Amino acid sequence: MYRKQVVLVATVLVLGAVLASGQTRKELRYKVHRRATISIMNPYGPIFVKPNPNKEIVIIAILHSDKVEIDPNQRGSRIDVVSHLLAGADPDSGRVDYELLVPVDANVTLHSTTGPLHAERLRGDVIMEGNTANVDVRDLTEGHVHIRTLNGPVTLTNISDGHVEVTSVSGNVALKSVNGPFVQVSSTSGMISYDGDFGGGGEYSLMTHTGDILATAPSYASIEVVARSEQGKVENDFLLEPGHSSFVARAGSAFAGTINKAASSVKLLSFSGKIHLKKRQN
Amino acid sequence: MTCDEFGRVLPELEGGHNLEQRAHLRVCPSCSELVAELEAISREARFLGLEDEGEPSPRVWNSIEIALRQEGLVREPLTTAVVPFPRNVGRRLTWLIPAFSALLLILGLLVYQNGGRRQLAESRASGVPAQPASVPSVDEQQLVELVATGTPSLRAEFESDLKAVDGYVRDAEESVRSHPNDEIAQQYLMNAYEQKAMVYEMALNRSVP
Amino acid sequence: MRPELGDLTDAQKSKNAKLSEAEAIDRAKQGDAGAFEALYHLHKRRVYSLCLRMTSNTAAAEDLTQEAFLQLFRKIGTFRGESAFSTWLHRMAVNVVLMQLRKKGLPVIPLEETLEADDESPKKEPGAEDIRLAGSIDRLQLKLAIQNLPPGYRTVFLLHDVEGYEHNEIAAMVGCSIGNSKSQLHKARMKLRELLKTNRAEKATRS
Repeated sequence: MYRKQVVLVATVLVLGAVLASGQTRKELRYKVHRRATISIMNPYGPIFVKPNPNKEIVIIAILHSDKVEIDPNQRGSRIDVVSHLLAGADPDSGRVDYELLVPVDANVTLHSTTGPLHAERLRGDVIMEGNTANVDVRDLTEGHVHIRTLNGPVTLTNISDGHVEVTSVSGNVALKSVNGPFVQVSSTSGMISYDGDFGGGGEYSLMTHTGDILATAPSYASIEVVARSEQGKVENDFLLEPGHSSFVARAGSAFAGTINKAASSVKLLSFSGKIHLKKRQN
Repeated sequence: MTCDEFGRVLPELEGGHNLEQRAHLRVCPSCSELVAELEAISREARFLGLEDEGEPSPRVWNSIEIALRQEGLVREPLTTAVVPFPRNVGRRLTWLIPAFSALLLILGLLVYQNGGRRQLAESRASGVPAQPASVPSVDEQQLVELVATGTPSLRAEFESDLKAVDGYVRDAEESVRSHPNDEIAQQYLMNAYEQKAMVYEMALNRSVP
Repeated sequence: MRPELGDLTDAQKSKNAKLSEAEAIDRAKQGDAGAFEALYHLHKRRVYSLCLRMTSNTAAAEDLTQEAFLQLFRKIGTFRGESAFSTWLHRMAVNVVLMQLRKKGLPVIPLEETLEADDESPKKEPGAEDIRLAGSIDRLQLKLAIQNLPPGYRTVFLLHDVEGYEHNEIAAMVGCSIGNSKSQLHKARMKLRELLKTNRAEKATRS
């Protein structure tokens, strides 16, 4: 009873603070079936997505001023929400903070210029696009993950059994425990770091123009690897079995071969950045 | 026979029913409908087995060939170089240039709709821009202006991104020119074009109302 | 010089095609690279289609296609012609897919014979029009519904109803009893029926 009173008082205080600052809180609830689709287009502001054990999508939106409104639409199990900027809106007044609770098998699409964007513990497909948004995706299985960003840093943690595609121009991309049938990261100048097993018999491709690539794998990793930098240095901590290919390895700038049973294919390509295939110390 | 009893034996039946089961189906419309629907699903599924879902990409055969040679299953000398990457990438490259030119053309048309110059769009559509990365092309400059109009705070970042991807495209093109048969050089070029296309697309998303 | 295929009658083409495969098999046993490639191109579409249906994932389907052909070529010396080459290859591809599913920890055939609890099917309102399926199943919807089946159900349904294997063959391939195979097939069909009806009910509500 005492705990409920505390929660009630805290809620009133938060709501009061929200209202006093000119902000508006909206809560939307939608009953959905399996594999619902939720799409949020929000130019300014964060979007956080977490799982909901119920077959319901809950959207909580905090609008920072009256210069922005949200425009939700539902068609069956497809929900679209657009943050609509009104005249005079800027990144501060046009900001909307979203928190979403979605069924684990929902497919989620998020667009934001500033972000940050966050999704966790889902099994559906996750698509995110942000210009400068900080992107953080963790604990996903089976669903596909597609991330596009210009400058925002991207962190993927504990992702498995789905396709992963990340495209970044200058944002750094960090992959931790990401395994799947297909993992592709490409960047122009962002750094790419991978720390995982390269497992699942998948195809892994990390490619940059000027960014560095740091890939850390355990001694038991089973990979066929090709690494090349046109103008940068390459380093390799593993003893590679020579592979059969027409790949031309120029000393100091490329290496290729297999480790253990070569179950997965790994490509590390940087035009002028450094590449290091590092052995994880246990 | 009741519906429950029929439901219990239904998994065991494969198109054949005994007298008792047939009698039940004659008098029970819901069990009869259930059996008809399950059989319809099964019949339709058989057609799926005949459908062609396409073919694997060329890299599959390339990987198989490499493995066969590695394992010594092939006993004739190589007459052509084994390439670890998909063949005909050069052919793939050919469609990429008009595809990217089409993207530039679309950009030019959008610039024209927003007060840009038509002749610039047409001249740019004929080829890949060849200006040094430090000097953005005129249509790219107009794209940056468009972005600045829609989202002023992003101007500097877009300028920097365009400069970076232009440099990537320039380096990749030079690499392919120097080593036209290098599969990795071709991959770099494709990746560079994709990066540039993404920058354009995201810029247009921010600027076109 | 051998005439081009286009100049031949259908009977001659058929005879040539059979000879070609038989020739290719013989030459592949000798390590002929061209023969391996010919056999690959002859059968790649069917193997890939099978792998794609069972995994619903193009990258996985390509990997499994590759593995199936590699296994085939490694064992081609043992092929004696007791069955059609395509049947042998098909069985090998299925085994490769099943092994991959086991490696990923996905249930090939569920051990627990429990139906998924599902509260989303439209409840029958008194007097509401029944949604009937028989005679008008949308193949695309069926394809999508199959993808939404739990992995164990999907495997047995694909093997039996789509690929045409018998329960005794399925039981041998996946290591379960014939009764279990029949039971899972029935449950898969019931689940598909439910999914198709839900989809049809949603469309009826929207229109």
